[in-house]
Amino acid sequence: MTFDLDLPWQVDPRVSMRPEPFGALLYHFGTRRLSFLKNQRVLAVVRLLADHPSARAACAAAGVAEAELPAYARALAALAESRMITERTVVCP
Amino acid sequence: MPEHDEEVLSTDELSTDELLVEEVSIDGMCGVY
Repeated sequence: MTFDLDLPWQVDPRVSMRPEPFGALLYHFGTRRLSFLKNQRVLAVVRLLADHPSARAACAAAGVAEAELPAYARALAALAESRMITERTVVCP
Repeated sequence: MPEHDEEVLSTDELSTDELLVEEVSIDGMCGVY
């Protein structure tokens, strides 16, 4: 799956997120799937998604370096594939 | 004329980040208490 870093994303409302020493545990109440976020930075990215206009901006805010972006895009693609994160609809005022 | 500096870029940095996310399904655990 290709992941568009320039779109707005959010954690699905049916997802519960539990911080852990290794990162975080995500549980989706709709799909009954678990995802493990394996470090604190990817957790920060996921948490920041809703506050930024794009996944790329959320990555930058979390301190993800340009060289690391492909790895984070793959991680976010996996989360989108399993519906842990969903594209956010931007409502214009 | 300046010497051509060779810059060594590490391409292995991302390999440690390959597993940023792991997924499992608990469907197979239905009925297990």
